[in-house]
Amino acid sequence: MTMLDRLEIWEKEGRISPEQQALFAGLVREDPFSLSLELNILLYAGVLAFVAGLGWTVSTWSQQLGDVLIVLALSLLLAASAWYCSSRATNWSPKETPAPTPIFDYVLYLASLVWCVELAYLENRLHVLSGQWDLYLLATALLFLFLAYRFDNRFVLSLALSSLAGWFGLTISQWPSYQSGGYRRYALLYCLVVGASGAVLQRLKLKPHFFATYLNIVANVLFCAILSGVFDREDYGLWVLALLAACAVSLTWGLLRRQFAFVAYAAIYGYIGVSSLLVRNLRDDALILMYFVTTAIAMIVMLVLVARRFGREA
Amino acid sequence: MRLYSESSQETLRACEFLKHWHNDGLVGEEQYQQLKQETVSDLRTTNIFLRLVLLFFTIIAVAAIAGLFFTVIHASQSDSANGVCFLVFAVLATIAAESAAAGARLYRYGIEEAFAICSLAFLCLGMDLVFYGRTVHSAHDALFVACGAGAAFSLWLWHRFGLWYAFAAAMIFTLFLPAYWTPSHAMQRGSICAVYAAGLVCIAAIRTRHRFDYLEQGYSLAEAFLWLGIYLVLNLKLTAIDRPSDLWDSTSPAWEFAPAFYWTTWVLLWCLPPLILTRGIRLKDRFVIAVGILTTVLTLITNKPYLGWQRHTWDPMLLGLALIAVAVLLRRWLAQGEGGVRNGFTAASMSGKHKQAFGVASSVFGLIAPQSITPAPQQQSPKFESGFGGGSDGGGSSGDF
Repeated sequence: MTMLDRLEIWEKEGRISPEQQALFAGLVREDPFSLSLELNILLYAGVLAFVAGLGWTVSTWSQQLGDVLIVLALSLLLAASAWYCSSRATNWSPKETPAPTPIFDYVLYLASLVWCVELAYLENRLHVLSGQWDLYLLATALLFLFLAYRFDNRFVLSLALSSLAGWFGLTISQWPSYQSGGYRRYALLYCLVVGASGAVLQRLKLKPHFFATYLNIVANVLFCAILSGVFDREDYGLWVLALLAACAVSLTWGLLRRQFAFVAYAAIYGYIGVSSLLVRNLRDDALILMYFVTTAIAMIVMLVLVARRFGREA
Repeated sequence: MRLYSESSQETLRACEFLKHWHNDGLVGEEQYQQLKQETVSDLRTTNIFLRLVLLFFTIIAVAAIAGLFFTVIHASQSDSANGVCFLVFAVLATIAAESAAAGARLYRYGIEEAFAICSLAFLCLGMDLVFYGRTVHSAHDALFVACGAGAAFSLWLWHRFGLWYAFAAAMIFTLFLPAYWTPSHAMQRGSICAVYAAGLVCIAAIRTRHRFDYLEQGYSLAEAFLWLGIYLVLNLKLTAIDRPSDLWDSTSPAWEFAPAFYWTTWVLLWCLPPLILTRGIRLKDRFVIAVGILTTVLTLITNKPYLGWQRHTWDPMLLGLALIAVAVLLRRWLAQGEGGVRNGFTAASMSGKHKQAFGVASSVFGLIAPQSITPAPQQQSPKFESGFGGGSDGGGSSGDF
């Protein structure tokens, strides 16, 4: 019995109304067929290709075209995009708001990327910030954060969070005596700042739907930072404890909130970290393989129990 | 014969539809709970994250068991003996996959999929070692047998378990087969295209009987893969993996192939995308439409290297503008139809499922772009690296920062 047959039966039995039956049958047959997804992907790919070409052209032809012409062209493009966004924008709301026009999100994304190209050009050619790339990144991150919240745009929010990560990384790389371990501590600081900001903004009910983006980025950065500490041959004890704590929190959060990505993070990152710790000093191949057989089976059993309990409710 | 019954899969599909409609607010809570009782399937499923994690750990467990076996018994006397052991493992893994699916009723659960994947890997390894180990056979013959067995077994897995990626695996194995009977690259590509085209004819004939049922999506994906496979095999620039630089800085057509073959493929590359798009639109098939769009873009990207024309730095800008223009004009044209619908197509989103997927994708894709434009740490002599692939000697231009 196909879904269409089932709908007819439900309608005859009075379980759904004739209007519902007609609507659902249309959805099953995809009539009308929505091209929304394809059009959005085309727009996204178009913006990326355009900015890629723009960056390539600007970097290749700067001497022939001259700084003034390039800066003018980039500024005009930026101004046009900014004008479009400001003229079409609806009143701000702390809740999730739909884009005012179908291309609005992409114009804002274009403006953000053009801003990056122009700033990079100005800095490299004219040294406006005297080589202070970290300041450029911090200012950009704050600007993008503002734009993301003003216009409810996840693309720009991701840009903001990755620019902020870039700022943390660049700042450390400029220190005279930085070591790779320094990155780890600042990755944790980044997680703390971003996670706390996300939590506060969600608590204040300011675009609470962005919280998932914050959490996923924080979880991945946090686990990667902790894992790099566990992989160290020295002073890894605290990192192991941190890994276990992070796994426990991630697992609990994932199960309580039915967000199974966090269960997956806890399982995968936790397994990699603990395995590296236990296997690093083993020299017997059979013992190592035995370890993987038993632990993998144990993980499967545990995950099946989780799947049975929480099943398909994702 | 398929492993899962039609009624089980249709019931599961009904359950999925119902859940989406409930999430979209088209079905009330009470009505949802009532209808949900009638869409209880005997199949055990799980969500995508647990499925992936279970797949990961099952593959680790099976691979470790196989490794442990070879370590403990020190089975390194001969390749043939090891090959036979791998074949035995393939049989055991297949039995395990069947038991998990038929006995425990696992459906897209990760575990049965991992067993199926491992059985395919063991089969190929086993065939290769068994045939390579015998002195009368060369490595060339062994590879042919392994790939042939891999292709056939992948197709069986696709049919039996309904795993879409098994079909893609069968297509990949097929790529290596023609090298056995002809050294000519042109003939090899022609043979692969002929096999894919035959597959396409079969799928097209079969799928007409499965309109709107649970098998439609599987056949749709298979057809999309076949179209994409034919296109990629014919595109001599895109699949010249031994000379990837040709794609970017070719200034003259490569004559590794006979001119007649070369230009025939060029003509076909322009004919295929409209053909695929037309078929996708006629069938209202999302996967085939996606392949149509992708092949159109790839044709535009590879046209200049094909013709031996010089690339320009602004080519990506023109491509981007073209994509944006097509999207905007098409959206506008569709929106001007009665009720925003033209010829059964609309630009409006009909399901919250797509909206949610795009919300997640926008967060992920938003992270990709900044990696391209984030500048490198400050150098002694500042130098603009846009990271877009520019600055190299593309298009005969010189980076002049």
